[in-house]
Parts: sequence; C-alpha cells; structure tokens
Amino acid sequence: MTSTGSSDLAAAHRRALRVAVGVICMESGFDRANESCLESLTEMLQSYLTELGRSARTYCELAGRTLPMVTDVGMALTGMGSNVKGLAHYARRRRRFPPLHQDRSKQSQP
Amino acid sequence: TNGDVKTAGDSLEDLLNQIEDYAPTIPDAVTSFYLNRAGFEASDPRVTRVISLAAQKFISDIANDALQHCKMRGSGQSSKKVGKDKRYTLTMEDLTPALTEHGINVKKPYYFT
Repeated sequence: MTSTGSSDLAAAHRRALRVAVGVICMESGFDRANESCLESLTEMLQSYLTELGRSARTYCELAGRTLPMVTDVGMALTGMGSNVKGLAHYARRRRRFPPLHQDRSKQSQP
Repeated sequence: TNGDVKTAGDSLEDLLNQIEDYAPTIPDAVTSFYLNRAGFEASDPRVTRVISLAAQKFISDIANDALQHCKMRGSGQSSKKVGKDKRYTLTMEDLTPALTEHGINVKKPYYFT
C-alpha cells in the first residue's frame, strides 16, 4: 500500500506538507536540504498526522462520543510518546517564521 | 481545578485558549485532510491546530537533533567554512542518527545517487 494516493487532491496536500517541512527545517537553522531528507520527513509527517487522527478517533469512540475533544488528542499524543506540556512551550518559541499561507478570505477584504 | 496540581488536561485546555490566534506552519486544511482520511473530524478548529502544532513539533525536534549532528560533524573539518557565514545542509548522514534517537530506523536505499 502506498501512503500517497494517486489523486490530484492527495498530491496537492502532499506538496503543501513538503513546503511545511521545508519551513520547519529552515526554522531549525538549515539552509539547504537533500531531496531524500525532505521526502523522508514529509512521509513521516504524513504518517504522524494519520496515526494521530486514528488514535484520537479511537480514544474518542472508546469514551462513547462521536465528536472528538481535545482530551482525546491529548491521550493520543501521550500514547505516541510526546510530552503535552512541551507543546505550549514550543508555541511560544522565539525563532519562528511567519506562516506562508495566507487566509484568502481575509486577503480579499481591504 | 485541583489545587496547585497542574494536570496534562489543564495544560491542554490552556493551549487550546492560546492557540486561537496562532497560525501553525502546516495549513489547517492540510491537517484536516489527513485527519479526515483517518476518520477524525474535529468540530473545533482549535483542535486541528493543536494537532498541527504537535506534528510540527515532532518534525522540528528531529530537525534540531539533525542540526546538532551536522554541527558536531562540521566542527572536525574546517574546509568548507567561509568566515561566519556557515551554511548547513540537511543530509541523510545527519538525519539518520537523529531519527535513530527517536526510535525510527531509516534504511537508505543503495540505488539513490
């Protein structure tokens, strides 16, 4: 099974993910990156998002709910070995690039 | 809620309130695409953003480790050094040990040149 679907939609999202990986690498202090590294990290990011979604949905269903809450995400994150408390610290980091994507609905308004 | 003990749930609720006006590097639409693929449909867009941030941190931690490896390796050889303007390139040579620290085993295919 390939992780990337053959549709144009999947390819477009994959490209956006690749751009995000590039920005994250630049934030860390890299100036250039090998093709294979970017591709590996993109694949890992895609797997991480998919696994996080699957795990959070499972926790949500275990609790007998259909709409996931943030606690389900917290459980999924803990289950995958991440520290939830480090997340807030990461959000306040100093070295941070402005997001590349612009909200089009906000852009059109003067 | 329970005295001065801060649980992981509390810090998540705090994060949820902080993240309202925070734009992660991974666009919300892209994150929700992959989450929906896994059967996860968030009712609150802030939940999606928390996931974006977590995924971003995951990659960022690995990239930081790789940079440390790159710098350590570069300190031995000073041939490419051009004054203060030092440029770092992310290569598999640095990425593989960084990933091994995170428990991910990457096997480099031989036929890539």
